[in-house]
Parts: sequence; structure tokens; C-alpha cells
Amino acid sequence: MTAAGRPGIGWWLLILPALLLLLVFYIGPILQVLAISVTEPEPGLGNYERIFTSESVQRVIITTLRICLITTVLALLLGYGIAYTITLASPRAKGWWILAVLVPLWISVLVRAFAWVTLLRRQGLVNNTLINAGVITEPLPLVWNEFGIIVGMVHYMVPFAVLPMLASMREIDPRLLAAARGLGASRGQVFRQVFLPLSKPGILAACVLVFIFSLGFYITPAILGGGKTLMVAEWISLQILDLIRWGLGTMMATMLIFAIIATLVVFSRIVDLRRIFGSGA
Amino acid sequence: MDGIHPTGPAARGLAWATALYLVLPILIIVPVALTDQRYLSLPQDGISFQHFRTVFASPEWLGSIWQSFIIAVCATVLSVVAGTLCAIGCWRISRRATDLVRVLMLLPLIIPSIVYAIGLYRYFGPLGLLDRFAGVVIAHGVTGIPYVVITVSTALAAFDPRLEQAARGMGASLSQTLRWVILPRIAPGIFSGAIFAFIHSWDELVMVLFIASRDVFTLPRRIWDGINENLDPAMAAVAVLLVLFTTLLLMADRALRRRSEG
Amino acid sequence: MSAAGHALALRGLTKRYGDFTAVDDVSLEVAQGEFLTLLGPSGSGKTTILMAVAGFVAPSAGSILLDGREITPLPPEKRNFGMVFQGYALFPHMTVAENVAFPLRVRGLSRADRDTKVRAALDLVQLGTFADRLPKQLSGGQQQRVALARALVFDPNLLLLDEPLSALDKKLRAELQEELKALHRRVGRTFINVTHDQEEALSLSDRIAILNHGKLIQSGAPGTLYEAPRTRFVADFLGKSNFLEGTVQGADADGFVLAAGPDRLRVRLPAGSAVPAEGSRRLLSLRPEKISLLSDGEAADNTVDGRILAWSYLGAGFALRVATPSLGEIRAVLPAWQAAIAPAEGLPVRLGWSADAAVPVEDDAP
Repeated sequence: MTAAGRPGIGWWLLILPALLLLLVFYIGPILQVLAISVTEPEPGLGNYERIFTSESVQRVIITTLRICLITTVLALLLGYGIAYTITLASPRAKGWWILAVLVPLWISVLVRAFAWVTLLRRQGLVNNTLINAGVITEPLPLVWNEFGIIVGMVHYMVPFAVLPMLASMREIDPRLLAAARGLGASRGQVFRQVFLPLSKPGILAACVLVFIFSLGFYITPAILGGGKTLMVAEWISLQILDLIRWGLGTMMATMLIFAIIATLVVFSRIVDLRRIFGSGA
Repeated sequence: MDGIHPTGPAARGLAWATALYLVLPILIIVPVALTDQRYLSLPQDGISFQHFRTVFASPEWLGSIWQSFIIAVCATVLSVVAGTLCAIGCWRISRRATDLVRVLMLLPLIIPSIVYAIGLYRYFGPLGLLDRFAGVVIAHGVTGIPYVVITVSTALAAFDPRLEQAARGMGASLSQTLRWVILPRIAPGIFSGAIFAFIHSWDELVMVLFIASRDVFTLPRRIWDGINENLDPAMAAVAVLLVLFTTLLLMADRALRRRSEG
Repeated sequence: MSAAGHALALRGLTKRYGDFTAVDDVSLEVAQGEFLTLLGPSGSGKTTILMAVAGFVAPSAGSILLDGREITPLPPEKRNFGMVFQGYALFPHMTVAENVAFPLRVRGLSRADRDTKVRAALDLVQLGTFADRLPKQLSGGQQQRVALARALVFDPNLLLLDEPLSALDKKLRAELQEELKALHRRVGRTFINVTHDQEEALSLSDRIAILNHGKLIQSGAPGTLYEAPRTRFVADFLGKSNFLEGTVQGADADGFVLAAGPDRLRVRLPAGSAVPAEGSRRLLSLRPEKISLLSDGEAADNTVDGRILAWSYLGAGFALRVATPSLGEIRAVLPAWQAAIAPAEGLPVRLGWSADAAVPVEDDAP
């Protein structure tokens, strides 16, 4: 490339506003969180010791991991079914299926949590319907517990699972499926021996995306957990807003960041991260 | 080769069940909002718009809607200007040199907003930005930048860099090239990014919970209080209005994209 | 592999997509062990026919018979046809050996049987040493041969080839044409090939079926189609041709005279062909290589005077475009040894051809 073709300083100036905004108003506050976790209430790693000594800290971590794993598995399973159907659908049907995935994605998370509360609470539509139909006599505990959290979280995460899987399934040459059938494979064999192995990069990307989004998820678990089942994000907010224990809250926030970065680093060895975020928005 | 390998009944069944699971709960709020009862329920003797009237007659709800709207518009302007310029800069400067910038731009999508929110809570205090309109605009605007960077970068990926070189070669300055060559070509991408940044701010709750309290009381904040305190059908009416609004924005985005693709 | 070909028959095969008819009432027989090529421009329906034979496209009407048995309703995996796809469709996550073993695996063969057959099939295409490579580590020609081995390894009733050579460069294509032909002789199976490349069709096939707009225009041995095209489309698609139009005059048992403007063109018909009616309009197809350049005083059945409009050197000879006052522009291809002159633009020349060089064709041009 000649000197004339080399980008000048002007192009760097274009990046500057975003870079400054991000450094001052994003990275700054985040770094402060990291700093508080080792300085308050006193300098040192005292807050981090609590991971090994405090039963309540351990409980919230284990609850979070359990819910995130269940959510990831369910969201991937449901998402795979939809992504598979979209990939093989006719162009017109494709548009409708994608709409069914994208509309929930962009509807306010609060609206969705509210809808689930309406459906699942004691006098909610599901319990009322079941009681009126004579299936049950006592309302089922469907919400303000772990079950409710998982129902709401899976609902939120399925679109995030579909997008990367769909992107990777689109790269599968449909002729490969035709070739497999022409060579004598049944529908099940085509799926197990050709489609599934070829869609593995998408499954991994969806797995990472859903898991890291679930880890720090606040609103849905807070509303559908009813304060009884605490996940990490709600626990942090409790420490800061109600108990004013900045050290503990920021310690957990730091752990959250590290858990997410660790997940990304581990998976970046087996899956191209661009797959995850290229289609994330 | 459509239809050469159709899905089997098992896959179709799973996909239909999932689609219903995704869409039905959102649709259920429509009859609930139209109920003639005073509590959350399905309509019993007929539909009624009384709960919509309640919302439109309430200065609190209208105030929050207006405040959310203004904040979202200002935050979107901030995100779009910063994000578009950044995406263009990164696109023109070589990939390697801007890798760090790109990773930085993704952080707000990766790091949970609860972490950022507690950070802001402490950070904004000394700056006097707590419970201030400007504080919320900055928080939403900065975290909206990634959406714009992603959509504009996608639009730029389909743009031949030689066009830019040709324009410069014919004597156009940087700002002339931007205005006459680059921006018109990537306008649909910018518009998409603006819609996503707008929805991001309009729906954002976690940061607002920490950095706003009385003077700034956005719509999501009021819904949150409503869900936690009094579950009444007016909430469902607000939810329906929100769903309609979001759907309208997405349809505008789709229509625009379709038009630009010809 | 046993040498047992199967015979295929299409009866009134039709495929409609909405208002569009992709294949229009095509009937065709493919004999045991025959190499048949479906040749046509894109959109002629040739690939749709192949896909219908393979079972990927359900015909709107008509039937497909294998050795006289109806197979139209069978799904692709039950037909036991080998197929080489355009672009090969090799499974990217399987090695060469795994790709070739795939049809055996889905048929539940034991590992030992599989290994033996896979080795034999890979040896057949001379890729024995590449068994453990992934498809992306092979060249285009090697991938093509893996696709062939995979399509032949399970003793298919029929081998279907969808533009098998189109992704390769010209030199490799010629090489693989030879190999494909030799392979066909070795395995003695019925091959059905689809292509838009007329050279490939001419050199590979026992028989060619020419299609246009979903209709079967003509089928026959390559030489027959080239020498005696039934329509203008066939003459034009298979090689190049000059088309001369005129009115039939003086028809007799031997042939007829075509009046084109002031020219009288003598046409001799092969024995037994129908003689066109006196006064009817007819179109003649005249291959450029059947025209010779006459020196002063030399005679021919038909002659025409003109001037060289343009010429190009082909190595083995010259191609001339000659403007004639009455017949318009005529293309001629002359072997170098016959071109006694040095061609030049504007040079007056005299062209001649024998009475059996030009053949009457139906005018099916749009």
C-alpha cells in the first residue's frame, strides 16, 4: 500500500469520542468496582476469603451455577429445535419462524417477567385454569421459586441460543443432506451423522452466550424468584443497596467478571468467538 | 434445494412447542389488559378499555413515559454519533491496530449490567450525576455504543473500500468523503443501530435502579415498582403499549432494511 | 464390483412449480450399461430430471421405471442410486475413508466389510493413499474422485452425475473426462450425466438427450446429433452452424434445391428421408468446417462469393467470417493446410460445399 493509501490521523480522530466515552464512563466505573473489592472495608483479600468461609456466599454461587446450567441446557435444546426447523423451512415459513424468535428478543424483559407472573402466580391464569378444570384442588407453586426463575430465564435465553446456532446451520450446504439421503441414510441418520456434527460450532457458541448472559442476569430472577431464591446479581444488589456492604458486593461482581472472562477464554480455544458476537445484536 | 430434506415430526413438534412458549406468554397480556375486572384476570363479561384510560389519565405513568422517551432519544444520539464514527474509523484503519478498540466496544455487552450499575453508583456520586437526567443519558448512551458499532460495521463490511480511496483520489476531504460517499451508503445500518440503541435505553432498568431515585423515574422503573408492589391490570395495559411500541420500531427497521436491499 | 447395469425409463415425466413448467412431458429410455448425458442450457430442466430420478423432486405427472418396475414414489434413500453432486457434497467433518464408508455404514455393514469395500473403491479411483485426509486437504480433482468412489462403493443400481466436472479447470476437466469414461467401461454400470458443456457431452456419452425449456428436443448418439440435428436449437447448441433459409424448388427422390434469394442451393438427402413439399420454406444447417475455400476454376455442388469480414487464427487452422451478398454472413473453419491464401479483411473469396453438407432442420428458434 502506498503512503497515500495509508489511513491518516483523521481516521483515528473518528475513534476518539467513543474511546474516551468508554474509558471515562465505562472502564472507569468497572475498575473502581475491582478496586473497592480489595480496599473496603480494609485493604487486602479479606472479601475473597469469604468464598471459602461464608456458607451464604457459597450457597448463592452454587444456586447461580445450578440455575445457569439448567437454563443453558434447556435453552439450547429448545433453541436447537427452532434453529433446525428454520434452516430447513421454505423461505416464506422462515420469515415467520424468525419473527417468532426475534419479537420476544426485543420485547422488554420487564414485560416478559410480568407476563410470567400473571400466568404462574397462585391466583394466576395457569393455576385458575387447572383448578376450574378440576385437575388440581390446591394452586401449584409455579413462581417465586427456582422453577419460576428457570421458566422465565429459558424464555429470555432461547432467542440468544437460536441466533448463533442458526448462523452456523446456514453454513451447512443443503446438498450434503441430499447427498446423505441419496447414499441411503434415513432422516435420523442424516441428522445424527451429518447435520448434528456440522452444527457443533453453533451449539458451542450458543452455549457460551447463554451461559455468560445467565450468570449475571438480574431482572427476571429477581421478579420470578420473589426474593427467596437468590442468584448472584440480586445478591450483589442486596449487599450494596440494603446492607451497604460494598466490599462483599464488589467482590462478587469481580468474581462474576472473572467467571465470564474465564468462560470466554476456555471456549475461545474451541470456538471462534466472532460466531458468538457477530450475530448477537 | 428447498424441500429436499424436510424436517421430521419430532423436530417440528419441538419447534412449534418452543415457538408457542416464546410467543403465547407475551400475547396473554393483551386479554388481561382488556379485562373488565379490577384485578389481573381474563375478561369475564366483556372487554373494557378502562385500564388503558387509567394509564393515560395518570400523571405518574405519563411523566415516566415522557422522561423515558427523552432519555432514550438523547442516549441514542450519543450512541449513534460516537458508535458510527468509531465503526468507520476501525473499518478504515487496519484490523489489527483496532482489535483492542473492538474488544473494548464489546465489553458492555459481555459484562453484566449489575456490575456496571454498582460501579456507576459510586462513580457518579462525586461527579454529582446521581439522580440526574444527564447521568442516565450518559450511562445509557455509553452502553448503547456497541449496538451501533456492530450494525454499522456490518453495513461497512459490504462497502468497497476502494470507493473511499477513489473519492479521496479525486480530491475530496475526509469530511466530504464521509458526508457524500460513506454515510449515505451505510445509512440503513446506522438506522438499525439507532433503533437498537433506543430500545436498549427505553427498556433499561438495572442501571436506573442504582443511579436514579426520585427526580428521574423512568418507565421501566415504574413498571418494576408496579410488579413488586401492586399487580393491577393497568400494568398489563402498560405492557401492551410497550409491546406495540417495540413491534412498531422493529417493523420500521425491517421495512427500511428491505427497501435498502431493493 | 459386478458388472450389472440397470435400465431406466421415464414416461411422460412432468414437473411444474406453480405456473412454471420445469420439465414438460419427457419420455426417455436408458439402456443397461449406457452412458447417457442430459445436455441443455441452464433452465432447460436437465437437473430437475436428474433430481426426479434421484428422488429429491416429486414429479407432477409421469413415472420413473427401473427395469420396468415403478419407483416414482420411493424416497431417495430407498432407490439405491449413486450420485455425484455438483461441488461433490463431501462431508467436511469426515475423512476420505469415512466419506466413502458412509453409505455402507447407513446400510449397517460390519466394519470389516466396510474396510474392504472402501479400500477397493479408493483403489478404483487411485486414491488409496489419501484415506485419512479431510476433503479440504484434497485438490478439486481428488475431491471429485472421492465423490465418485463414494457413489460407487455400495453397488448402486445407477450412477447419477450432476455437472461432475464443472468446478474444475479446463485441463483437469479433459483428464477427468478420460478417467470417467474408463471408469464407466470398468464398472459397466448405467451412468446418467447432466451437463451444459457440449464438448464434455460429445466425448463422454454413448447417447445424448438434448433439452430446452423443459422439453426433450432430440436424443441419439453424439455423431448422429452432430451430423443430423433435428432442429435449429440442436445444431446451434451442439457445435456451431450457419443457418440458410429459402424456398424448396425442384424436389426429387434424391434431394431438393433451396432458393435463397438469387442463389440456388443443392441439397442431397440421405436415402429414405422425407422430401419437403415444393414451395415450402426450409432452414438448412451448414457446419463451418464443411465449407471449403475454392481456388480459381475449382468447382463444388454449391458455391457462393463473398469478402472476408474478419478472421482469426486457431492454431490448427483459420476461422473466417465471410460477408456474402445474398446469404448474409457465413462462418467457415479451414484447416491450415487447406488455406492456400493468407486471409485478410476485405479479401474476395469463393466458398463451396457439397450437396450433402447442409442438412434441413426445423426452425425452433424463439
